[in-house]
Amino acid sequence: MTTVLAICVTVMVTVSVYLMLSRELKSIAMGVFLLGHGANLAILAMSGSPVLPWGGLRQPPILGGEHLVDALPQALILTAIVINFAVMGFFLTLLIVTARKTGTLNVDELAGEEPPRSSPELASEPAPVAGLETRSVAD
Amino acid sequence: MTNHLLGLLVVIPMATSVVSVALVGRRRPQRVLGVLSLGSMLLLSLRWLLEIRDGDVLVSQMGAWPAPFGITLVFDSLSGLLICAGLVVALGCYVHGFSTLSPETERRYFHPLAQLLMVGVNQCFLTGDLFNLFVGFEIMLMASYGLLSIGGSRRQMGQAYKYLVLNLVASTVFVISAGLVYGMLGTLNLADLARIVSGRVASGEGLPTGFVAVSVLLLFVFGAKGAMFPLWFWLPDTYHTPPVAVAALFSGLLTKVGVYAVARTFPLVFAVGEARDVVTPLLVVSAGVTMFLGVLGAVSQHNVRRILAIHVISQVGYMVFGLSMMTTAGLAGALYYMVQHMVVKSSLFLCCGVMERHTGSDDLDKVGGLLKRDTFLGVSFFVAAMSLVGLPPLSGFFGKLVLIREGWGIHWWLSVIALLTGALTLLSMLKVWTTGFWLPPGSETSTPTGEPGGLRGAYVGIGFLVITALFIGLAAEPIYDIAFHAGEQLTDPTVYIEAVDPHGLVASLGGSG
Repeated sequence: MTTVLAICVTVMVTVSVYLMLSRELKSIAMGVFLLGHGANLAILAMSGSPVLPWGGLRQPPILGGEHLVDALPQALILTAIVINFAVMGFFLTLLIVTARKTGTLNVDELAGEEPPRSSPELASEPAPVAGLETRSVAD
Repeated sequence: MTNHLLGLLVVIPMATSVVSVALVGRRRPQRVLGVLSLGSMLLLSLRWLLEIRDGDVLVSQMGAWPAPFGITLVFDSLSGLLICAGLVVALGCYVHGFSTLSPETERRYFHPLAQLLMVGVNQCFLTGDLFNLFVGFEIMLMASYGLLSIGGSRRQMGQAYKYLVLNLVASTVFVISAGLVYGMLGTLNLADLARIVSGRVASGEGLPTGFVAVSVLLLFVFGAKGAMFPLWFWLPDTYHTPPVAVAALFSGLLTKVGVYAVARTFPLVFAVGEARDVVTPLLVVSAGVTMFLGVLGAVSQHNVRRILAIHVISQVGYMVFGLSMMTTAGLAGALYYMVQHMVVKSSLFLCCGVMERHTGSDDLDKVGGLLKRDTFLGVSFFVAAMSLVGLPPLSGFFGKLVLIREGWGIHWWLSVIALLTGALTLLSMLKVWTTGFWLPPGSETSTPTGEPGGLRGAYVGIGFLVITALFIGLAAEPIYDIAFHAGEQLTDPTVYIEAVDPHGLVASLGGSG
């Protein structure tokens, strides 16, 4: 069981690293999300194998019994999933707003956005409202 | 000592944040509420700091569950000093924001997000276990993502993703390492971990396999949050784009939480026994390179905000330098330096904000003669800048003095780098001072943007922080005493362990999960 989990974690982390190395923000986002899932599986593996060495399964704590599953990692995962979910929502929103404001989601083009030294635009000037108005992606 | 009110430091900003969401669009009630919340927390934590000035530890077990099972909040010298400094910074930046934030930004969620940031920061400082440290980090980061993209100008959007992606990856690695620690040692409570780890080292049993690897993983995580040497690239861009009150808040709080996490967990748990032999060289090298390359980067810049942002990196190097020594005086020096740096650095950013308001730019080519125009700003900037450099009666001096004296016997070459870095800091601060404030403005000075008046909030914020910075310098002894207690408790964690986890329940069960 632990071996299967280990293989799953390896595959997920590999794929997510591959995705994060791309130049497209959408793929980077997917890579980050996948890494989060991989991390959750890794924590699950920390509660030990549910199969006892001499056969039989560990019991969930609510049923009682002699050999119980360690429930704490699952509580940790639950917290991590909730946080991941919130971050995912934020990241996707950020991608949409970025695309509306800058017209691109390519990392190289975004890097070119930054003016080299002195900036004409100041942070203290009234900034436009967070881009919820209907503007086309290509503006 | 038990103090069940510690939770207030998390509850107050959380409640304020929720109420401010209901008040969105109405600036005055939000402002009053925010200042009340920060002010009451500051008074509470100052009171507790006085209570623990002799080295006591205040502990609160949530729901009265004993230590390794429940959530533990700890207010000791280390976290107490940083909480007070963090709240001072937050209050200063908050009031400053009243006059420098655009009304649109302020109406739309600046207040709830700033309060949420304080929830995360306070929880990071207070928490007594590794997983809640992660949760605190996440709350803080969520709020900072929001603050960073608030207003949503083109330039902000183009830069926000760097900070987001780096921190998401770091947080994920943090979760994995927390899981690994639990798998190895069967607990996540720091006091419990410290007891188990030091017990295993003392009994010759040794650390579990892979423990050193987890230490290094955590160093990566905290290094990324704290902008240590190879992981600092996100910082200048992040601090360059948001409104100045937000940048000042970030400069005072975000990186310091990363450094705090190293100070809290490494001497206690993750740099014990053979792990120390691996972690210490990493910290030493990182400290040297962070200090020196950071200041070189700052000298080469020509934009006040960028200069200040890159100086943050250089000064994180000083803190890591103190941590890397792992001696009482070294850790105490690092803590004192951290406290004064938070206040001084934020006040410099706030001064930069007023400068931008006066001249419409923070480019040194375009500003000049500000001393004549705004004497208060000039004097405040000078005091803060010289504190940063570390001239004797001011606060930076004492921090650097302790670090360099202590470092001389351990890594003399790091002390030399620290002195050299100080000289270069002076150079770059003088550059800002002479061209920005002293010399008459050049021909291409840009015209001011916005109305000249309405800066009362900004002056109150700057004045508050600069006076606090002066106080930290002039009253160095009592503050350093508290920092010294923190250093003692970090090098010999018995007091901390006994206060948090007097029974040692998991350790007595053999410590396997």
